Amino acid sequence: MRITVRVNDREYRLDVEPRRILADVLREDCGLTGTHLGCEHGVCGACTVLVDGAAVRSCLMLAVQCDGGAVRTVEGLAGRDGEPHPLQRAFSAEHALQCGFCTPGFLMAAAGALEADPAVGEDPERVAALAGSGICRCTGYEPIRRAITRAAREWPRPAT
Amino acid sequence: MRRWARREDERLLTGRGRYVADIRVPGCLDAVFVRSGVAHGVLREVDCTAAREVPGVAGAWSAADLMDLPACPHAAGDLQDLPPVPRTVAVGLSPEEAVAGREWPVLVKDRVRYPGEAVAVVLGEDRYRAEDGAAEVTFRIDPLPAVVTPSAAAEDSVRLFDGLSNIAFEGSAGRPIDEAVLQGAAVVVEARYRQQLLMPTPMECRTFLAVPEADRLTVWAGHQMPHRLRRELAALLEWPPDRVRVVVPDTGGAFGSKSALFPEYVAVAFLAVRLGRPVRWIEDRLESMLVATRGRGQDQRVRLAADAEGRLLAYELTIDADVGAYPHLAVGLPMQTAWMATGPYTTPQVRATLRSVLTNTMVTYPYRGAGRPEATVALERSMDALAHRLGLDPAELRRRNLIPPASFPYRTPTGRCYDSGNYAAALDLALTTLDYDGWRAERARRRADPAALPLGIGLACYVERSGGEPGGLHEFGGVEAREDGTVVARSGTSSSGQSHETVFPALVARTLGVDEARVRLAEGDTGEQPQGVGSFASRSAQVAGAMLVHACALLVGRARERAAGLWEVPVGEVAWCDGAVHAGPAVMDLAELVKLTGPLRVDDRFAAGMAFPFGAHAAVAEVDPELGTVRVLRLVAVDDCGTVLDPVVVRGQAFGSAVQGIGQALYEGFAFGEDGVPLLAGALLDYLLPTDAEVPPIEIRDTRTPSPGTPLGAKGAGESGCIGTPAAIVNAVADALRIADPGLLGTPLTPETVWRAARAPKLPERPV
Ligand code: FES
Ligand code: FES
Repeated sequence: MRITVRVNDREYRLDVEPRRILADVLREDCGLTGTHLGCEHGVCGACTVLVDGAAVRSCLMLAVQCDGGAVRTVEGLAGRDGEPHPLQRAFSAEHALQCGFCTPGFLMAAAGALEADPAVGEDPERVAALAGSGICRCTGYEPIRRAITRAAREWPRPAT
Repeated sequence: MRRWARREDERLLTGRGRYVADIRVPGCLDAVFVRSGVAHGVLREVDCTAAREVPGVAGAWSAADLMDLPACPHAAGDLQDLPPVPRTVAVGLSPEEAVAGREWPVLVKDRVRYPGEAVAVVLGEDRYRAEDGAAEVTFRIDPLPAVVTPSAAAEDSVRLFDGLSNIAFEGSAGRPIDEAVLQGAAVVVEARYRQQLLMPTPMECRTFLAVPEADRLTVWAGHQMPHRLRRELAALLEWPPDRVRVVVPDTGGAFGSKSALFPEYVAVAFLAVRLGRPVRWIEDRLESMLVATRGRGQDQRVRLAADAEGRLLAYELTIDADVGAYPHLAVGLPMQTAWMATGPYTTPQVRATLRSVLTNTMVTYPYRGAGRPEATVALERSMDALAHRLGLDPAELRRRNLIPPASFPYRTPTGRCYDSGNYAAALDLALTTLDYDGWRAERARRRADPAALPLGIGLACYVERSGGEPGGLHEFGGVEAREDGTVVARSGTSSSGQSHETVFPALVARTLGVDEARVRLAEGDTGEQPQGVGSFASRSAQVAGAMLVHACALLVGRARERAAGLWEVPVGEVAWCDGAVHAGPAVMDLAELVKLTGPLRVDDRFAAGMAFPFGAHAAVAEVDPELGTVRVLRLVAVDDCGTVLDPVVVRGQAFGSAVQGIGQALYEGFAFGEDGVPLLAGALLDYLLPTDAEVPPIEIRDTRTPSPGTPLGAKGAGESGCIGTPAAIVNAVADALRIADPGLLGTPLTPETVWRAARAPKLPERPV
């Protein structure tokens, strides 16, 4: 089936089998291997990407469901000039990653939430919900919570 | 401020990390294994014909089909059959006697011995096509009764190998306990503990990509021991080792689960070589939950005796250890528990005996802690029970028995020689950090208030071993100074999230006195560093760190000799300072020296002594006896891993490790069906890994007692949470419930277990 998807602001015209999951298409057809597969059944969150701004498990979505949509992956997080995203800086500063396998999922879940509402970072419960949205076997999550809070603090504020 | 805290961070945070599954090789085939749904049975037939007709399938083979495959020239010798999976020859972990007659075939030949054991392999142009093919493979297995616990299997009423006992190995440490001592003791705690099977569960499952080229093979794998992998693969292929190169790219966690050569790897390597095509196996989670290695798995009995003052007199530990279906490393691994049975105490008589028993489960293998958690949990749970029996404060009981700092090196009755320590200091720091007295008051308040949920405090003192066993305490590597002013550090270790790329260059830079930015690490590629041992047993900082410091010293020595030659002065007059040679007014930095005198590279092998990290963990838990739920209110982990190379990195590992320890105590485990198949159909929904919601406030503190085993003084770090935390939490729950028999709290402490324990006989009331 032919589909058109915008991924990280670039248009991809793809011919994909309807059964292929979004994660596989991103990784193999688009060559964007930053999105990881940790369980392929919707539990671990490593595969989280933004589809039309909302965080989704890309292992639970078919690529054909994204026809005409816009997808953002970890490769699209940094600014156009390559300037790291506040979340990327904060994850590093807080040691919120060790092996890094789960990291893209947490980054994208947090990016979706903070972009929708930067005030998320001020509410410990909402931060905990983001840190609790995936599985990390290395860090014990506390650094992930700290990183999300820190990124929210450094979030660019609209000029008032 | 530096932009990135670790060198690994930039690529891992921008999606440019490179894990094995990310590597694109044109024409690469995906391997999918067809797996047995029964735990134990006789394989009657396998038919791959239909699978071969599926579009996109490149081939499908059972064990019998592989035997029929013609031997191809220059590849894999003339082997007419896949060789069995190699055992771990290192330090007697799987002795020949245990393995003889019990070989682990790569694909099932006639008997299935664990659920998920592979009966066929299918290669496809991609994973989808390979799975289409796998769905068409038909096979028939006549089930046999299955045994899934070592105690049951030790009876030999069901045998995994006809004519051979399930008991693959028996061992002991320490002299038999004098029964008179037990009889004369004021108190003897007797208990049984089951250390459940755990799944290491790195977020990246196992990965293996084999790329043949002419008469060589390059393997990419997430792996802890690339050199061992190369050596074993070459031996299986009957090739000299230099025809195989193993590269470990970014690896998504390991925790002990990625250090062996698994059946799937053998099949993939052979098929790649035979077909002359790249083949990869990217294990998926469902598959991993069925056939990835398990850790722990011991049925234990203890007797712990003390006099009326709480002085320990004797400790006896009897272990039936789960080996899994084939005798591999887990045959000898439980000796780790036996050797560490003494723990941190001056107990004069300690005896541990064990039987390593085959069961119808996937093989047991090291999981973070590897034998030491089993020792610590058994002893520390018994210590708390003893304190309650004696009416002594558990902290005080421990204080009376901890090995004092002046006694090191300390020879234990179970054959260890502890290098250094101040165990009481760690305990004291844990108690003050926890506010032990404050929580004791709160516990008393709740005991007096029938409406309050009971609260308990649990302690665990531990000592563990790091670095490895004699014969495996060395590492290879070196340092090289280049003309362009850069320095390359080489090490035979391999990182799976432990920040080696950041920590080792920083160590070398500090040691040489050069700018950190000029040093880079070459690791995890047998093409770059031909010899190595690897990263396991918390050995990287302790052994490889010391090796790098040693190599730096050699490099400095050579640099001084060269400068002496250049300047025509005695070597004694050439000093080394800040990355440069000095003699009087003359100064020359490394780069210049190399330019003038040629390449300067040191490669060596360095052996460390065994080290014994230690610490004290303390937990406070609240229990709801009606719901059976446990809420950990506070956890303190004090660890001592000697000299610390990077405090933030060590703390991060200690924290993550403590959370795995919480998982072991409260959540992780699985049950088996009647047929011996684990009840894990819901995969990660059935095997509960801690998520953020389960993480209590945790405080990580340290004391630092350098190891005399190397000039660097580092001991192993990163496994402590799995060793100290589980016992502390279970002790807290036992304390809250005041149950008389500590063995009733089998881990994980599910609501059902806790609910039942809450209804069991209590300890007599005593002011504590
Ligand atoms: S891979 Fe999608 S949730 Fe785990
Ligand atoms: S950093 Fe390894 S799983 Fe999260």
